[in-house]
Amino acid sequence: MTTTRQSLAALLRDLPAAHRALLTTLVVSALVTLGYGVLFGALTAFVRAGFFELHPETGYRFMTLHGVTIFFYWLYFGQATMLLALAAAEGGAIRGIKLAPAAWLGTLLMLLGFTANQIGAWTGPPLLYDASPEVAGEERVAAGMSYVGYLLLAAGLFLVAASAIATALAAKAAANPRVWSTIGFGVVTWAGLLMVSSVAAVNAFLPSALWAYGLADMPTDPSTGWHLLFHNLHYLPLMGTVLIWYALIREMTGVKSIFGSRFSKIVFASYLIFVPPTSLYHMFLEPGLAPLVRVLGSLLSLFISVPTVAVFLVIVVSLEASMRARGSRGLFAWMRALPWRTPEMAAIGAAVVNLGLGGSLAFVLIQERLATLLSDTFFVPAYFHFLTVGTVSLTLLAGLMRITPALTGALRAPRLLALMPVVVTVGLVLFGFAGIFAGISGMPRRVLDASYDGAAPANWLMLSQIVGVGAILMAAGLLIHVAILLAGIALPVRRTVPSRSPAVLATPDGAAFRQAAWTGPLSVVLLVAAMYAITIVAFSLMQALPVVASAGGH
Amino acid sequence: MNDLSDVPANAGSMRHHLTTRRGFIATASFGAVSLYALWAAFDAAPFNIVGLHDSNVPGGGHGGAKETAADSMAGHGGHGAANAGAASEEFRRMTEDFVARHRLPDGSVRAPRNELALSETMPAAHDMHASHGTMPMEAMSGTPVDVYLMAQQWSYEPAVLRLDAEVPYRFRMMATDASHGAALQLGRGSQIIRLRRGILTDRELTFRRPGEYLVYCTVYCGVGHDRMTGKIIVS
Repeated sequence: MTTTRQSLAALLRDLPAAHRALLTTLVVSALVTLGYGVLFGALTAFVRAGFFELHPETGYRFMTLHGVTIFFYWLYFGQATMLLALAAAEGGAIRGIKLAPAAWLGTLLMLLGFTANQIGAWTGPPLLYDASPEVAGEERVAAGMSYVGYLLLAAGLFLVAASAIATALAAKAAANPRVWSTIGFGVVTWAGLLMVSSVAAVNAFLPSALWAYGLADMPTDPSTGWHLLFHNLHYLPLMGTVLIWYALIREMTGVKSIFGSRFSKIVFASYLIFVPPTSLYHMFLEPGLAPLVRVLGSLLSLFISVPTVAVFLVIVVSLEASMRARGSRGLFAWMRALPWRTPEMAAIGAAVVNLGLGGSLAFVLIQERLATLLSDTFFVPAYFHFLTVGTVSLTLLAGLMRITPALTGALRAPRLLALMPVVVTVGLVLFGFAGIFAGISGMPRRVLDASYDGAAPANWLMLSQIVGVGAILMAAGLLIHVAILLAGIALPVRRTVPSRSPAVLATPDGAAFRQAAWTGPLSVVLLVAAMYAITIVAFSLMQALPVVASAGGH
Repeated sequence: MNDLSDVPANAGSMRHHLTTRRGFIATASFGAVSLYALWAAFDAAPFNIVGLHDSNVPGGGHGGAKETAADSMAGHGGHGAANAGAASEEFRRMTEDFVARHRLPDGSVRAPRNELALSETMPAAHDMHASHGTMPMEAMSGTPVDVYLMAQQWSYEPAVLRLDAEVPYRFRMMATDASHGAALQLGRGSQIIRLRRGILTDRELTFRRPGEYLVYCTVYCGVGHDRMTGKIIVS
C-alpha cells in the first residue's frame, strides 16, 4: 500500500485568504522577534568578551532585551505559528482554522505584549527576563509594563492554543473514520502544554503586576513562580520540536512511523507525565528548600529525557528501517540518502546533533549535589543554547521554511539556507564548550564583566572571547535565515508549490519491520555514556575543591 | 495530511527485528535513568536503593558543604515582606556587631578562634534557634566557628574575611535588600550559594588550603551586580 497525500505547503495554500494572512502575521512576528533578540544577544556576548564596552545599565538592558525577546516572544510566536499551521493542515477537509477570531485576537495580544515589554525594558530598570520585583525597587511603574507585557503574551498564547485545539478537534470530527491522526493528537497535546505555560506565566507575573500598580504588597517569593514558568518555558518547546520533526520528516522523505499511530500518541502524551513534575531541580540552590523536595527533584528529573528520546528513536529507527527496506546498505548509506540539501532537513539534522550535545550536558544539573558547583554559572546558558538555539530554534526555522512557500510561492536561496545550520552549530560548539569550561570554574552567568578587577581566574576572559566568536557565528546563521525568509515574504517569487508529498512507504509489506536499525539505539548509548562521563568529571572536580564539610552543625 | 493508518493488519504475525519492536524502543527511552547507579556510586543517589557508598565524597553532599536554611529570623515562620525586613534588620545588627568586635586595623575581619567564638556567639545562636534548647558548653566543643556574611546592593559585609585553614566555620548569611549570591571561587571550581532576602542561610565550610578566595554575586541584583565582590583570606 503506497499512498501520497497533499503536501503541507499545498494544504496551507488552499486555506482561505484571511487564514493565510493570520499565519503570515505570525510568521513575520516570529522572524522579527528572532532577529531582534539575536541582535541583542550578540551584543551582550560581545560586551562580555570585552570586544567593546557599554555602561552597565545599557549592557544589562541589552541582556534583558535578548532574554525577553528570545525566550518569550520568539519561542512563543514560533510555536504558535507552527502549532496553528499543523492544525490547519491537519484539518484539510474542513478548510480553515477554527476560532480564527480568537487566534487573531491572541496574535494581537501577543504583539501588544511585545510592545509593552519593549516599553518596560527601554524605559524601566534593566530587570533581565525574570523581572524580579526586588530588583525593580522603587521604579515599580516602569517595571509594571514588563509584567503587563508578559500577561498579555500569556492571554494571547492561550487564545491561539485554543484555536489550534478547536481546529484539530474539528478535523477529527470530519475525518472518516473519526479517529485522531498522530499529528492532530500531537497538536492538541502541544497546545495543552502551551496553555499550561500561559497559566504559569500568570502565576509568576500577576502578583508582581499588582504590586507594580500599588494593588498588592511586593510578592514574598517570586522565585518559585519563576522557576515553574522557566521550566515550562525551556522544556515544553521540545514537545513542539519533536512533533515538527515527526511531521516534516514524513513530509520530506515519505517515511512515517513504523510503530504505528497509537504508539506515537502514547509517546506524545507522555510529555504531560514526564515534563511538569521535573521542574523541582531548578530550585536546588534555594535556601529553605525541604530535603524531601530536594531528593524528589533529583529523582524525578532522571525521567525528563524519556519522551524526547522515545520520539527520537521512533523517527530514526523508522527512517533507517524504511530506507533499508528500500535498499540502502552499509552503516550510513541510509543517512546519505536523506535529502540533506533541503534546508529543512539540514536544520533538523543539526537540531538532532545539538540535542545530543545539550542533553548530555543537561543531566549534570539535575543532580542536586552538583547544583552548588554549576547552577547560576555560565554552564547554564552554555548548555541551554544547544537546546534553545541548536534544537528548538533550528527546528522552528525548519517548520517556517516549510510553510513559507504556502505564503510566498517559493523559498529563496535554499542552498544558502541549507548551509546555515552548520554555521549555527559550529558557533554553538564554540559558544557552548567555552561556556561549559568557564561555568565549571564558576564564571557566573548574567554578568557583563566577569573580570572582577583582576580577581577572577585569568582564563575567564579568554573563554568569554571564544564565547563571543561563537555568538558571532550563531547570530550570523540565524540572521541569514531571518533575512531570507522575510525577503521571501516581502518580495514573493511565484513558483509552483509541490502539491503532493513523496509517497508514504510506511509499511508496504512489512519489510521495514525485519530490518536492523541500530543507529538510533547506538546514539542513545553514546548519549548516556556522555552523561556518565560528564557526571564523573563533575563529581571528581567537586571532590578536589579545597573546601569540605565540617562535623556538627545546625 | 490525514495520517489515519496504523501498522499493517498482519504486523503482529511478522518477525520483527529487535530494534523495531515497540518494547525495545520504550525500554531504550529510559536509558538515562540508569544514571541513578552512577549517582549511587558517588553516594549521591536519592533514596539510595542501590546501596553503593563512597566515603570519599566530601561531606556527603552539597558540594562539600552542609547547608541549612534557617527560617526567617523574624519569628520562625513569617516569610512576608515585613518579616523579611525585620529579619534583615536583626541580621544587620548581628553582622555589624560581629564586624565591630573582630575588625583588624586594615579593615578586614578576623574570624574568632574556637573557644572565643563559643562564648561570643552562644546568645545569638540560642536566640535564633530557641527550639533546640540550651546546650551545655562542653557539648558544643566541636561546634564550628560562626562567621557572618551580609549581602546587600552591591557589597558584602565584611568585605574581607580572614579564616584559618582546617578550621570548621559555620557561615551565617543573609541577603538584606534583594536576592544575591555569595559564591566562592575556589580555583578549578566554585561553591555557588544563593541567598534570598530575609532568609538566614547557614553553610558549614572548612577550607583545606591557605589562599585568597574571591566571593562574588551570582544572582542578578541590579546594575552594580558586577562590582559585588568580597574576599576570604585563609592562612
